[in-house]
Amino acid sequence: MPLEPFKPSAPLTLGVELELQLVSLSSLDLIEASPDMLDLLGRKPFPGNVVPEITESMIEVSTDIHTGHRGLLAQLRRIRDALVAAGDRLNVGVCGGGTHPFQQWSERKIFAKPRFQEVSLLYGYLAKQFTIFGQHIHVGCPSGDDALFLLHSLNRYVPHFIALAASSPFVQRKDTLFNSARLNSVFAFPLSGRAPFTLSWREFESGYFARMAHTGIVKSMKDFYWDIRPKPEFGTIELRVCDTPLTVERAAALAGYLQGLCRWLLERSEPPPDEDDYLVYNYNRFQACRFGLDGTVVHPKTYESVSLRDDVLNTLRLLMERTASDDAPALSHLLQLVQAGNDATYLRQQYQDRGGPEGMVDAAIASFKDTGQG
Amino acid sequence: MLTTLTALAADLAWPMTVALAWVVGEAGHRWAGLPRISLYGVVGFILGSPQLGLLPSATFGTVMLVANAAFGLVLFEFGYRINLRWLRTNPWIGVTAVLESALTFGAVYALALAFDMPLLTALLLASLAMSTSPAALMRVVNEQRSSGQVTERVLHLTAVNCLLAVFSFKVIVGFWTFQTSGDILQAISNSVVVLAVSTGLGAAFGVGVPALLRRLGRLSSDATVGFAIAVILLVAITHTLKLSPVLASLTFGFVARHRRVVLNPTRRNFGALGELLSIVLFVFVATTISWQRVWAGLGLGLLLLLVRMLVKVAAVGGLAHVSGISWRKGVLTGLAMAPMSVFVILLLEQDRYLGINLVDQLAPLAAATLILELIGPVVTQRALMLAGERAEPAEG
Repeated sequence: MPLEPFKPSAPLTLGVELELQLVSLSSLDLIEASPDMLDLLGRKPFPGNVVPEITESMIEVSTDIHTGHRGLLAQLRRIRDALVAAGDRLNVGVCGGGTHPFQQWSERKIFAKPRFQEVSLLYGYLAKQFTIFGQHIHVGCPSGDDALFLLHSLNRYVPHFIALAASSPFVQRKDTLFNSARLNSVFAFPLSGRAPFTLSWREFESGYFARMAHTGIVKSMKDFYWDIRPKPEFGTIELRVCDTPLTVERAAALAGYLQGLCRWLLERSEPPPDEDDYLVYNYNRFQACRFGLDGTVVHPKTYESVSLRDDVLNTLRLLMERTASDDAPALSHLLQLVQAGNDATYLRQQYQDRGGPEGMVDAAIASFKDTGQG
Repeated sequence: MLTTLTALAADLAWPMTVALAWVVGEAGHRWAGLPRISLYGVVGFILGSPQLGLLPSATFGTVMLVANAAFGLVLFEFGYRINLRWLRTNPWIGVTAVLESALTFGAVYALALAFDMPLLTALLLASLAMSTSPAALMRVVNEQRSSGQVTERVLHLTAVNCLLAVFSFKVIVGFWTFQTSGDILQAISNSVVVLAVSTGLGAAFGVGVPALLRRLGRLSSDATVGFAIAVILLVAITHTLKLSPVLASLTFGFVARHRRVVLNPTRRNFGALGELLSIVLFVFVATTISWQRVWAGLGLGLLLLLVRMLVKVAAVGGLAHVSGISWRKGVLTGLAMAPMSVFVILLLEQDRYLGINLVDQLAPLAAATLILELIGPVVTQRALMLAGERAEPAEG
């Protein structure tokens, strides 16, 4: 099956998908609640879109297309309120966080839908271990070439998003020492990683993709688990490295940051991307996953080592000087984050204070409900 | 020589029975997919002293205490899984629970009167019929590793109907005592005091044990053994003081759950310990039922079951939509509430101390209990399977 043509969309428009945890309020463990949640949510119009995910203790919500941070945040809040209200009626807590800190992957149940069953058959235990929760951000692009330009120009900023969104420090009741352990589960998939380097959509479409399709390994873009992938039918690129943050405010802020960065990059303000940029890519990505904002990354052009925290701060300040007022709240949210620590830090603190991983889940549920976290 | 052999046989009777029940349970579960506890019940009933008589009567012995401890562990875990806050965030859960209990009480009471039962016997029968067996329920839920709305709701509704059953039962016993003895003090101590002290003891354990475990640094690791010992101790105390182990263990679970800052990783079923004790429990309960009594009460017993089931399914199913689930899941929740066994027997055994032999007066209950002891878990199991809430079978 050939790749569908790239459908142009309004540049820099935003859309967000969040994969959320469904947790039993009795045990705080994950619970197979998505069929019941979807059934209940189906009774009223939902302020967005809600669909099942691969295992029944996950649910995915997505927003409409937005031009800016403010509209996006407003819709995410309405979505959150609808989810929390439904969860309350079913004794189900809804929360963010890239991993559930103590769920046993073997207990999970694959949602009854043909594609999920196929994936489960193909990947075996990897499918159940894929009970991890990410935020995907779509940015609209006017053309396929622009999409590939943005996709590759963002390579140096991928660690920023990993570190800012990281909220998966624990797996199977143990501290992984990672800020984002979730991404380790993504890397296990054979078609994960980064997109091949080309800046021409025609070359991507009739070259790389056609050849890959010919091998029989892939049928559509869905079979790639890249950190950033083009989505031709939406006319977007999709950033997939973020853990689902604990609050929708943070989710919206990350989208605002990506929008600001893309605006900056589309102005061709930086030297164009290059295949050699990817020499440092996996190392930088590891630093961000492992150490979060305390990581050290190597600049892909100058090979200079910089602290990730400083790099993020400098970028935020740069964007703040030139940004539209609508995006300012998003950037100042992230400035605060850089000072106070990311969600992974917050969750580890909860583990200390409350004496167990159950306390982390309890705190995650409270964070998702409330407006903003302390 | 002969007496030695008899004594030896008596010594071996229980361990042999437990071994046999375990084998039958595993075999039946493997080949027929039946809940293990139903099969334990079958073994207990057949070998029990009223039937084959291979088991010595154990009503007052160590086995009774072991069974009580097993039941206490189940009730503690049951209480621990209940989130009382849910009754507030979704008031329809509470409404459903109270309504289905009240309607069951009314229907069974009317039925008993229609069969010319004495007023007080009818009241006691009605109050016991309200309850769903938390032990059977927990075993089936854990065996199936089920999770979903039917599972959550059947657990929460059962918590309420059990509490209502214990309370109404004790109050009625109080009245009974007053009527037969005319002693108001004894009446009050048989009901109100027992209720209050049992609840208080359970609550004290619920506050004290987590605090102790935290001091010992066990809270963040595995607190299973600590809680198991506490439950066994609590059951022994309440048993000795002729209080209600049921109420105390349940309260312990409730309070431990709602008081804690941290939830403890208490293992399901109390691990191997819980599994072992529950074999004794379900075998023991069935041994206390005699064939003659079942036969005598069979007609009314069957009718009682039918009425009870219909009322529960109608009440829970009728309020399903408004409380947030589909009609189908509502009906399945009602069906899953079928088991009614262990709880009743232990209540009755306890009240033998009071000098009232309810077992003889409540023959229909014996019949209903035996039938549900065997069939109830199967109904619950099928309801959970139909609701699609069973975990995928473990591979290998």
